[in-house]
Amino acid sequence: MSSTLSHSKTHPPRARFFSVPSLETIAAWLLALIWIFPLLYAFWAAFHPSEFMVSFTLFAPLTLENFADAWGQAPFARYYLNTFMLVTTVVLAQFIVCTLAAFAFARFPIPGKNVLFMLVLIQLFVFPEVLIVENYRIASELGLINTITGIGLPYVASAFGIFLLRQTFKTIPRELEDAARIEGCNWLEILWKVYVPLAKPTYLAYGLVSISHHWNNFLWPLVVTNSVESRPLTVGLGVFSAPETGVNWATVSAATLLSIAPLLIAFLLFQRQFVQSFLRAGIR
Amino acid sequence: MRARIPFALTALTAGLLSAGQAAANDPTVLTMYYPVAVGGTLTDVVDDLVEEFESEHPDIDVEAIYAGNYDDTRVRAMSAIAAGDTPQLSVLFSIDLYELIEQNAIVAFDDLVETDEEREWLDSFYPGLMENGQLDGKTYGIPFQRSTIVLFWNKDAFEAAGLDPETPPENWQQMADMAATVREASNGEQWGVMVPSTGYPYWMFQAFAFQNGHRLMSDDGTEVYFNDPAAIEALEYWVSLATEHEAMPSGTIEWGTLRQNFLEQSTAMMWHTTGNLTAVRSDAAFDFGVAMLPMSTQRGSPTGGGNFYIFEDTTEEEQRAAMTFIRWMTAPERAAAWSIETGYMGVSPAAYETDALQRYVEEFPPAAVARDQLEHGTAELSTYQGGRIRRALDNAVQAALTGQLSPEEALNQAQQEADSVLRRYAR
Repeated sequence: MSSTLSHSKTHPPRARFFSVPSLETIAAWLLALIWIFPLLYAFWAAFHPSEFMVSFTLFAPLTLENFADAWGQAPFARYYLNTFMLVTTVVLAQFIVCTLAAFAFARFPIPGKNVLFMLVLIQLFVFPEVLIVENYRIASELGLINTITGIGLPYVASAFGIFLLRQTFKTIPRELEDAARIEGCNWLEILWKVYVPLAKPTYLAYGLVSISHHWNNFLWPLVVTNSVESRPLTVGLGVFSAPETGVNWATVSAATLLSIAPLLIAFLLFQRQFVQSFLRAGIR
Repeated sequence: MRARIPFALTALTAGLLSAGQAAANDPTVLTMYYPVAVGGTLTDVVDDLVEEFESEHPDIDVEAIYAGNYDDTRVRAMSAIAAGDTPQLSVLFSIDLYELIEQNAIVAFDDLVETDEEREWLDSFYPGLMENGQLDGKTYGIPFQRSTIVLFWNKDAFEAAGLDPETPPENWQQMADMAATVREASNGEQWGVMVPSTGYPYWMFQAFAFQNGHRLMSDDGTEVYFNDPAAIEALEYWVSLATEHEAMPSGTIEWGTLRQNFLEQSTAMMWHTTGNLTAVRSDAAFDFGVAMLPMSTQRGSPTGGGNFYIFEDTTEEEQRAAMTFIRWMTAPERAAAWSIETGYMGVSPAAYETDALQRYVEEFPPAAVARDQLEHGTAELSTYQGGRIRRALDNAVQAALTGQLSPEEALNQAQQEADSVLRRYAR
């Protein structure tokens, strides 16, 4: 702030009216536009008849037919339910597992803790698609093929979650823990009453990342499921892609909007909280 | 407690035994993964077919599982095999043959057929469609959802440009001239021709090369011939459509939006798969025709699409049941219905002799073009390490079309890359 103030003082007053946006602002706008463009196009395409897709007549007649088409071609209601159940179970399970693991890594005096932690972090370097065959074998042995548990299980012990929570727990002053101990709390109570409440922004930020990732995940759910009863939205959406003949953009856009709508609306509603929690949870 | 354990064990054994006996009377259960490569509700069509089959064959249960596009389906089948849940059969990309053989995943149909009737069935398909499913004289893949490339032309646009709307181009020279005429007559509003160069550039390039009398690979999938003079000439012609004749947009042309471009009349001709036939027919607001691709020295188009495969590691009884199912699915009436529904080809001459397909062809002659062109068909580019080989060729084609490399340089580079990949497969 102070630098911009002193900057404007050295120039004649007129310069204030011509304040050229800084390079960063321009770059941010540019990136934002590039990012939002596909979404805007999907919006536009979903509400117009398919004849206008390539010519892009901005004021082509509006229609809701694409949504009716898309809705008719796949059991979206069931897919919504499946995706919702998948995302909730995965995120809850991740919170539990990652909290316990992160607490152990942050506070317990375990011999070789750092080596173990490095081993966990290695997971971040492994591209999940590489593990499909092996994960499928395990899921099959556990009898979890074609179940929502089967889709979620490989993601429960998330290295990213453990890492993020461990970093947050480490920043929490030991004094608080000591105070709680003097009050007679055991470690579980300390974790629940001291650490978890203080790490709320991290949970929110991590939860958001995790929800959007699992909401959008495609290949593994496709591979591990067989039927409508367990398939999430993204896999249902796959029916609309037609690699051999080219896609009907209008229907695909409508179907895409249908499947991202809940997430999008949630983001718009809670935008402020999300952004703040990301700022607070910044890795230190 | 001690006495009870043997009792529990005996009970368990008895249970297992009775379960085994029950299984003998139960229907044979088959699992099949299949991809959907053309849009829409094909999954429903497949489900209906399976249901009909089951009612005719109460002793066989088929679980048909939609598994995404061709690549996803291959991943799915391979994962299941690695996990020991081997499916009995699947529809996979016809060009996956070498990979499946390399993994010892599939069985040859020649080893499964027993009766003369079955042998006859195995010989009943168009030879052009069998090429991709055969290796060393054995048949591993049965054609199911198969296509070729055809030329779609807009008759209204031809008329507006002063061309005969009923005459499609016969050869390369004519196509370039006609396309340039359309471009000029429309004052640059409309392109003359579009050949897609994303998605499956190698497939389109194969057509050009074959029309120029050249096959890009050996029969056993261990060698490719990308930088042969005939291939270079083919790529030069493709590039010249944009640079010299100015009848095609320069740069790459998007596979996925080409049909829309044609429907919106931004191009008068397009090369595309027969799988688009039904969609173009229902959406075109103008008169259009479908023709065989133009020739240089000969007609030609590669085939494409998916084959049925039967997997290793399943019981003989299951394999026989799988074959019964495949025979049923490829029987002339079903092949005809499938072709009408999707635009894929009827896979056997007998399919085109059924009443349903004959009536359809009469009412909609373009449906027969793909069949007539089959006689000039060639196998789709399929080799060991197919993915890498196709990528090399795709890159070369795109580099030439975008002007980064000359056709000769691009193909030389692709050849080098392919040679180094295929070296260890040399026979």
